[in-house]
Amino acid sequence: MNRTVGDRLGNSEPAITAIAKLFPFHNLPFATCMEGYIVSLIIFTAIFALFGLGLNLQWGYTGLINFGHVAFMAVGGYVTVLLSDLDVPIPLLIWIPFCVLVGSLFAALLGLLIGLSTVRLREDYLAIVTIGVSEMVRLVALNEEWLTRGAFGVQGFPLPLQGFAPTLLTRIGMLAIFTGVIAIGYWQLWKWLRQRIKGVSRQSLINSSLAVAGYLGSLGLLLYGTVIIARQLKLAEDLSPWLLGLFLLGALVGIIALYTWLAQQTIPRLPDWFVGLSLVSCLLSLAVGLWIYQFAAHAIYTYSRTSIKTGLMFISVLVVAVIFWGLQKLVRSPWGRVLKAIREDEEVAKALGKNVFWYKLQALMLGGLVAGVAGALYAWQLTTVYPDNFQPLVTFNAWTIVVLGGAGNNVGTLLGAAIFWAYQTSTRFILADVVPLDDARLGAFRVMIIGLLLMVLMVWRPQGILGKKEELTLGR
Amino acid sequence: MVDNANALLSAKNLYKSFGGIKAVDNASIEVPQGSITGLIGPNGAGKTTLFNLLSSFIRPDSGEVIFDGEPIQQLQPHQIAQQGMVRTFQVARVLSRLSVMENMLLATQHQSGENFWNVWLRPGQVIKEERSQREYASEILESVGLSHMAQEYAGALSGGQRKLLEIARALMVRPKLILLDEPAAGVNPTLINKICEHIVQWNREGLSFLVIEHNMDVIMSLCDRVWVLAEGRNLASGTPAEMQKNTQVLEAYLGQ
Repeated sequence: MNRTVGDRLGNSEPAITAIAKLFPFHNLPFATCMEGYIVSLIIFTAIFALFGLGLNLQWGYTGLINFGHVAFMAVGGYVTVLLSDLDVPIPLLIWIPFCVLVGSLFAALLGLLIGLSTVRLREDYLAIVTIGVSEMVRLVALNEEWLTRGAFGVQGFPLPLQGFAPTLLTRIGMLAIFTGVIAIGYWQLWKWLRQRIKGVSRQSLINSSLAVAGYLGSLGLLLYGTVIIARQLKLAEDLSPWLLGLFLLGALVGIIALYTWLAQQTIPRLPDWFVGLSLVSCLLSLAVGLWIYQFAAHAIYTYSRTSIKTGLMFISVLVVAVIFWGLQKLVRSPWGRVLKAIREDEEVAKALGKNVFWYKLQALMLGGLVAGVAGALYAWQLTTVYPDNFQPLVTFNAWTIVVLGGAGNNVGTLLGAAIFWAYQTSTRFILADVVPLDDARLGAFRVMIIGLLLMVLMVWRPQGILGKKEELTLGR
Repeated sequence: MVDNANALLSAKNLYKSFGGIKAVDNASIEVPQGSITGLIGPNGAGKTTLFNLLSSFIRPDSGEVIFDGEPIQQLQPHQIAQQGMVRTFQVARVLSRLSVMENMLLATQHQSGENFWNVWLRPGQVIKEERSQREYASEILESVGLSHMAQEYAGALSGGQRKLLEIARALMVRPKLILLDEPAAGVNPTLINKICEHIVQWNREGLSFLVIEHNMDVIMSLCDRVWVLAEGRNLASGTPAEMQKNTQVLEAYLGQ
């Protein structure tokens, strides 16, 4: 197990073996690997949560169809790193945040330009213009080599908290802040859950929770068993890939059919099944969250000069927390109400004295600004910025995240980002083990599965995971 | 025909064509301060287009609109609403995925919480305003009998309730003049009476109305003065009783 995880993480393996020789603890390489991996996962989740939040403001709340969201990320990322690479007599601790500010303002400016140029276009044409703009930004970055170094990419730019060696006290302080953010998150989750549980009898709650836990638990075990068997089958070299594929497909279809049938049988008998599901998924997220938290906390506690990623994780989580809080305030305010009114019917908003155009511009710019900040974090996480990092696919990752969580719901976007990245990382391990495909095809296969899952979601829960079903059944 | 003495709204020689069709052809109209003025005419006479011209949803090719002593034909639709002239729509348009209360609160003008800096920097003021507006909205909803629906999605309302909500929402703007486009269309007789009572009540409190309506009972009971439009042109204007005797009007509209 230890070896295989190390192998799959690739280039860090020699270092891990070296550490393993120094410390004869059997599980250390695994823990170290896992810690690096989880820190990385948190950073990516945070970046794409931010990126999704920007899109959610534009599309989920205001109804602006933006198919070029990655352009804001590209502008934010490029401006930040190019500016921070300049030789200025200012300490990096001040200079880098300033660069991020300028970068995100440039992203907001792009939003302004898009808004101004599409003012005379009908709504659906905005989608076409934005996708064009995002490709333009990428192609400019590819070809204006004097500025962006083209396809060679920008490397070696300063990273935040580079060479930062905190004292024990500082590390404990950082840990306290990090823990505080997580705790506030769970407190909110608890408040939401309490609202749900209110008015449900204890017996019914226990019954439905146990039923849901049994359902999900047995489903998880069955899937796990399938993976184990498939892995063994794949290891048996003489088995044809077709047979393995057939086995996988058959097992999946069987499991899905069985569990759909089970759900149809049980749901009518469990009036509070949804409350049970809420409780179980909250407990599950608490367990997973704590499991992840221990790695992150350990990483912060043992923060050293070399671990740039830990600092980036700390910054990313803080930035997401602050921006999420700010956006939540906004969308629940009269300002957010105007945006939602524009999404519903902009003629009505106009008739009621709202400057629709100005609010659309604000939504585009603010959403762009948030995506610009995400771009800066993305650049730091990748440490090298290529034009190819900003392919249109990235935009659609953000769309997947927003649709998954439920449009017009910022909590949903956070959840969507977490699920998306959990999927990305877990499939990298599991699918490679069980699917008879080579690496290149596997990449495409993973994207295909996302598409399939989205289709299933659209059929069963078109409003997204946290969306409200009533909203879809309303007349215009 | 038009005299400006105490006109709240007056439009002169409005002209608008779509391609070859003259939708509104040199039409004029006037709404005296404190009146309920009717606008009638056969289907396709250009009544709704005239509404769109008055509220700047469509730009006139020529002509002028004066509201409260100021020319407004160059203003944007939202600016006209801010000046105190609100329109409703022929088919009631509610914001489906907002609650009835949110629909009402949206209509308030000059909310400090509509500026995002204030949301972050002056939350206290925003909350205070919101609270007082909520009270005002509750009063109006109470009076039109929608208070039990306040927290429901507006999209869950019936057709008649939507009409009521639209008028109630227009009141939240605290306007001087409301343009009502067929308030009685598709509404049952009891509710029509109720809507009429409310209009008269609000009119006594100083609000002026311009009403498009095909239901002649409504026009007769409500209006001080009626303007008749046919093929985009003014056909006649006078008291409802005069209009019922006017042969031209009878020919074009009442079908004698």
